[in-house]
Amino acid sequence: MTAGMFEPVDQETEAPSSWLDERTGSRGIFEAIFLRKIPKVNWAFTLGSATLFVVVNQFVTGILLTVYYVPSVQDAYETVRYIDNTLPMGWLIRGLHHWGATAMVALAVLHMLRVIFHGAYKYPREITWLTGVVLLLLTFAFGFTGYLLPWDQKAYWATTVGTRILEVVPFAGDWLLRIARGGDDLSAVTLSRFFGIHVWILPAILLLVLAVHLFLVIRIGISAPPKKED
Amino acid sequence: MAESVSRRKFLSRATLAIGGAIVAGWAVPAAAYIFGPARKSDRQREWRPLGSPDKVEVGKPTLFKTRIERTTGWVTQEEEVSVYVFTEDGRNFTGLSNICTHLGCRVRFVDDQDVFFCPCHNASFGKDGRVASGPPPRPLDTFDIMVEGGQLLVNLEI
Repeated sequence: MTAGMFEPVDQETEAPSSWLDERTGSRGIFEAIFLRKIPKVNWAFTLGSATLFVVVNQFVTGILLTVYYVPSVQDAYETVRYIDNTLPMGWLIRGLHHWGATAMVALAVLHMLRVIFHGAYKYPREITWLTGVVLLLLTFAFGFTGYLLPWDQKAYWATTVGTRILEVVPFAGDWLLRIARGGDDLSAVTLSRFFGIHVWILPAILLLVLAVHLFLVIRIGISAPPKKED
Repeated sequence: MAESVSRRKFLSRATLAIGGAIVAGWAVPAAAYIFGPARKSDRQREWRPLGSPDKVEVGKPTLFKTRIERTTGWVTQEEEVSVYVFTEDGRNFTGLSNICTHLGCRVRFVDDQDVFFCPCHNASFGKDGRVASGPPPRPLDTFDIMVEGGQLLVNLEI
């Protein structure tokens, strides 16, 4: 073998991560997301990440719940009871989803308050702020539609009352109420619609808006806490 | 071993460890939750009345039906269980399942041919449940039968 024909194998470039990076640019992506420069911040700046973590939890546990949950008036309550009482770890998965929902609202609101108090919604972060507002509204919609799904007394009456709120809208109230319920009364149609909205429509919109929100956070970077002179 | 670990390395390892623990926290319950119903069920055995032993013709399997309540998942349903009762002497009874041991089709006793016939793959079983022809790997399953108080009782898994 002629010396110099083959380069000696460099241990660095032989690592699997380099193999992948050469083909996908994975290292650059990793560095852009996790090794980006940030200003000196405090714990309040973790609220967005905390919300994101709960979102992941809601996706994981929510998908698992749909394995057994059946959104029909005959089965909804029975399947929730089956998940809670019979299936191994079912109580834990439903519990994580239930409390995760509350945590998601709380963390998203706290995250929003931090952004307001720091004036972090200002130029050039207006789009990040606007997508954040949409994400918060989506979170409320998730909470409202998910609350009906166990189909117990609390769910039924909370949604009866909740949808009635739409009725007080001037002129269009009746119409909005019928849209929300899928008819005059809370029924099998309402349950089925709320389920479809909760597990298909809202997650699809959430993923899109969340992608824009996170892309902007990474692209623009986060703002430092304002100083006295700001 | 006094290997010094840099702050950066420690933090990245700690992040990986905590992240791994969280992922396991989802994955382990998820596996239990999904595979849970695959565990063998702990069904009870019970004696159920079928009818009078007088109805059983000697030397000819006679079909009896009984209804049992079974819970699968969150649904409790009445199910019909069919049992062919067979006796050679009018005193000792055996119960035969009407489920073909090949792939689970229902077999039927054909009087003029004296065999249980399975329409799915043309299998046949003798009166005592032994395979006479076709693909079944073993004889028809049996039930324990006893006579008590003028009643045929069958031992079923509820």
